[in-house]
Amino acid sequence: MSAPAHHWVFRSKSEGIALRLPVRALVALALLTLVLLLTCCVSLATGTYGVALNEVIDTLRGLSISRAIDNVVWEFRFPRTLAAALVGAMMALSGAALQNTTRNGLADPSLVGVSQGAALAVVTLTVVFPAVSGALRPWAAFAGAILVALAIQGLSHTRQGGSAIRFILMGIGLSTFISSITSALMTYGDIDRAMAALSWLAGSINAASWSDVWTLGIWCAVLLPALLAISRSSSATRMGEATAVSLGVRTRLIRNLQLGIAVALAAIATSVVGPLGFVGLIAPHAARRIAPAGIGLNLLITAMVGAVLVSLADLVGRAAFAPIQIPAGLLTALIGVPLFIVLMVRSRSTASH
Amino acid sequence: MSTIAAPNAGTHPVRAWSGVPVLLGVLVLAFLLHIAVGAKQLSLGTVIEALFSFDQTVFDHVIVRNLRLPRAVLAVIVGASLSLAGALMQGVTRNPLADPALLGLTSGAAFAVVIATSVLGLTSMIFIPWIAMLGALGAALVVYIIARLVPGGATPLSLTLSGAAISAFLSAVISVIHLLDQDTFENLRVWLTGGLAGRDITLLLYVGPPIALALIGGVLLAPRVTVLAMGDEVAQGLGVKTGALKVQLLAVVVVLTACSVALAGPLGFIGLVIPHVVRLYVGSDYRWIVPYAALAGAVYLLGVDTIARIAIPPREISTGIITAMIGAPLFVQLVRRRTR
Repeated sequence: MSAPAHHWVFRSKSEGIALRLPVRALVALALLTLVLLLTCCVSLATGTYGVALNEVIDTLRGLSISRAIDNVVWEFRFPRTLAAALVGAMMALSGAALQNTTRNGLADPSLVGVSQGAALAVVTLTVVFPAVSGALRPWAAFAGAILVALAIQGLSHTRQGGSAIRFILMGIGLSTFISSITSALMTYGDIDRAMAALSWLAGSINAASWSDVWTLGIWCAVLLPALLAISRSSSATRMGEATAVSLGVRTRLIRNLQLGIAVALAAIATSVVGPLGFVGLIAPHAARRIAPAGIGLNLLITAMVGAVLVSLADLVGRAAFAPIQIPAGLLTALIGVPLFIVLMVRSRSTASH
Repeated sequence: MSTIAAPNAGTHPVRAWSGVPVLLGVLVLAFLLHIAVGAKQLSLGTVIEALFSFDQTVFDHVIVRNLRLPRAVLAVIVGASLSLAGALMQGVTRNPLADPALLGLTSGAAFAVVIATSVLGLTSMIFIPWIAMLGALGAALVVYIIARLVPGGATPLSLTLSGAAISAFLSAVISVIHLLDQDTFENLRVWLTGGLAGRDITLLLYVGPPIALALIGGVLLAPRVTVLAMGDEVAQGLGVKTGALKVQLLAVVVVLTACSVALAGPLGFIGLVIPHVVRLYVGSDYRWIVPYAALAGAVYLLGVDTIARIAIPPREISTGIITAMIGAPLFVQLVRRRTR
């Protein structure tokens, strides 16, 4: 981790209990939460059917102003807003976990092909087996994503003296290959279903429903604590294989678990909103920049940054050029690529370790 | 990969020459097959008849002349241009991963055309090739500058990665413009998928001359590329003005790429795949690689486009999808195998 942060330390008189609080990180977390709530409120108020901000707040408190407002806020905008925040958080965490396991600052689920694997699986499901119920989507996405993750692990394993750039390039090659299969499938498939798949592939959140929110929420509730639970051990892994082993960490197990969680997070998020690029790249770096913190708190900040990022992207994308909606995925790519270039240029050496 | 290393002895002339008639024969065959195959199957005899003794009253002849011949001609031109450009790029940058699409040139050209037609309102066909050239040149320079800034300099890997980044960015911008301006964009949308279906052959009037010049220029410059591939110092020691040569080669590559994009939209991986395949036969001498790449590229794109048309009747797969399907695995393998 970077330089020691400013801390407040509380000790009880006998020094039996001591609390060491990283002030900056906690303040950052609180501020981010505030920004997220604000964004969500504005997002709920914005749209073709105008609702004032105080009306939104009243509606959320359970006061029914009118049937129309209830309908718009609860049925259309609320699930979308929640889905944006959840997807952002999941993509961000996935990126952070991926960067940890591969020890590669350029890793992102959409860059190494994990998102594309999930996308291919989902498109296959919608186009080739349209009869299969939508409940299987997240599972299919996970299966597709994990296959790609295994493939890239296998491909990068045999290399001699790897570099961060090489790893990403292989990922880009793999994702191009998978995307080409996806495109071919869409040409093959029925035009209506292909069109549905197409809007989904652009990374748009506009079709999110309550059932999507439940899917995201439940998985998030399972995976986030799991990631936090192994984060202590994984912080030891960061100091190097040997150090971690001597500290009693089962590095292989931890790494595999972390990779599995990273893939699952990206796959579930992708199965709902489509491949949303670069969030997993931006958020962890932004979090590190905003406030240096221990790995657990850092993960929380990362998730928050991701949630804010995607919520904002969704809000801007649908408000800036209304009535035309720009998918959030395009906006995150527009922010993400310049950052990616900066990171590439800044990387001290191209060799990872 | 040692394929890109300094060339040792030259390719044996007999071996090299012997491939030319074979390749030409295959080219003619692929050309005729490309025309014959389709929704309405034609016999090779009918195709030849339609080409050499055209009869306006025969329906099959009209199909050949008006629909299929232009497309086959396009495939030959675009395939040859892109793979020749790729071969030159691989030689100059000594980079086995070089390809007009991977290094961002095609996206740059496509981006410039999109901006010019949808934002600036330049729809006249005369301008399109030139605008595309500007875009390709700009993208090439940006990609090169970014790669130079990466610690370790403009290595094949950093060049390719910055090319991928620039392509991703430009395609996101194109998508946004697309969404904002759907009416005028409808024509461009098909063009942007990269393929040979329904292209406007009249554009060839404007694009043809520069492409022909660039193809000839590329073949003429090829011997000096062989020297350049041995490294700048060696080349200078042998009396090659490397700076001037590189500028000339860049011009050739930009013209070929931009004109191909203007004709067929962004098609990936052709310039990557073909030179590598050609090298297996003629070795590392660019005097042979460059002309062979042009011929083989034409054959390749004819073949790919034939598959694209007949794989899933009655629909058609975009040609660019198939080139990516074939090219991407080779790309992964090249990245993986390359030490340093």
